[in-house]
Amino acid sequence: MVERLPVALDAMGSDGGPAVLVEGARLAAERGVDVLLVGDPDQLGDVGDLRVKPASEVVEMGAEPAASVRRLKDSSIVRAAEAVRDGEASALVSAGNTGAAMAASLLRMGRIKGLTRPAIAVPFPVFGSTETTLLDCGANAECQPEWLVQFAEMGAVYNRVRFGVERPRIGLLTIGEEAGKGNQLVKDAAKLLEDPGWANDVGAEYIGNVEGRDLMLGVCDVIVCDGFTGNVVLKSIEGAMLVARTQIRAAMASTAEGERASAVVAPLIDPIIDRLDTEQTGTALLLGVRGVSCISHGSSDAATICRSIMTASAIADDHIVDRLRDMIDARS
Amino acid sequence: MPAETHMEQSPMTRAEVLELVRDRLADILEIDPEDIREGASFADDLEADSLALIELVEALEEELADRTVGFRIDDEDLQDLKSVRDAVDYVYAKAGAES
Repeated sequence: MVERLPVALDAMGSDGGPAVLVEGARLAAERGVDVLLVGDPDQLGDVGDLRVKPASEVVEMGAEPAASVRRLKDSSIVRAAEAVRDGEASALVSAGNTGAAMAASLLRMGRIKGLTRPAIAVPFPVFGSTETTLLDCGANAECQPEWLVQFAEMGAVYNRVRFGVERPRIGLLTIGEEAGKGNQLVKDAAKLLEDPGWANDVGAEYIGNVEGRDLMLGVCDVIVCDGFTGNVVLKSIEGAMLVARTQIRAAMASTAEGERASAVVAPLIDPIIDRLDTEQTGTALLLGVRGVSCISHGSSDAATICRSIMTASAIADDHIVDRLRDMIDARS
Repeated sequence: MPAETHMEQSPMTRAEVLELVRDRLADILEIDPEDIREGASFADDLEADSLALIELVEALEEELADRTVGFRIDDEDLQDLKSVRDAVDYVYAKAGAES
């Protein structure tokens, strides 16, 4: 039997401190996923049976990512990325400084040859269908048109491997469905994406322009955009879901009638809201590096960290890096 | 000569440094080395972002560590490296025949 590697968790990077992360790791271990905590043993508290890889430094949330990763070589995020690089762990999960997680993954795991820039992929729920993956959600604020084609290739491979969609449909995020809509980057990228060569090579179908409202309607399986736009979309949806959740609960609690109705309605509504809340359910994956690197919110609670660890483990089991390499080899 | 930067092998010529910088940059940006002019600006001509430059710096440090023990590009010097020529001049001054 092949030994299953643990998931390396940056145990120092979280708004809630190491305790939340250790608890999330413990929950994942209870569900059968081994976790390697990476951090300062003196600050982790009681870790039970979980293994610890010592790291004496921390990249703070507000620190400049690339410079910090370069300077703090014994930081938890750098050591966690090295654990994946060195075959000690199958995947990395970090809820710390997002830029530092990206930089550490890129600099320590390395880039997959043939892919110019890594991109952050986030799956969005679609009711009655498989998830739609949006990328780039923030790795590259400025993009070149050619990169969006690579994002489409990576997204197609990820969507097929992760969600079993045989021939993923790819859309280009812009401000109108009609051809020619969008800024110069979108127009230039559309020309490249309309060439059927890349889509045939990767076994995908390019469907043209899509709009923001299409994200969770199942119009396509992968949506590509630059990292600035993708991050704004992601954070806007998270904010909207937060408002919806709190306002619905407040409305229900505002009258005695509402409270009585809540007992009936809440069990119906809560699962829908929970599924739509990407902040609670989703973990972002950095695609394009030679390892599995998952990025979670700094505000994640233990249950969310547990879900991120389990997702990271499942993605590692899918051999996504190998499948991306296969895709590059198959390019005509 | 400071002990921490003594040469392990013969010093590089400027042409060799240029070739090294060009090769590593081409590898990082996934472009043809021939398309990288010495006068090219990292940001304006090659559209290399800060992370790509850090990749270049780490690649150069790794490559040159064997030739020049203790070779390192100081973080505070990074902001002065705006072009391929700047990087070549910097590396040549530290690890080349002029060092």
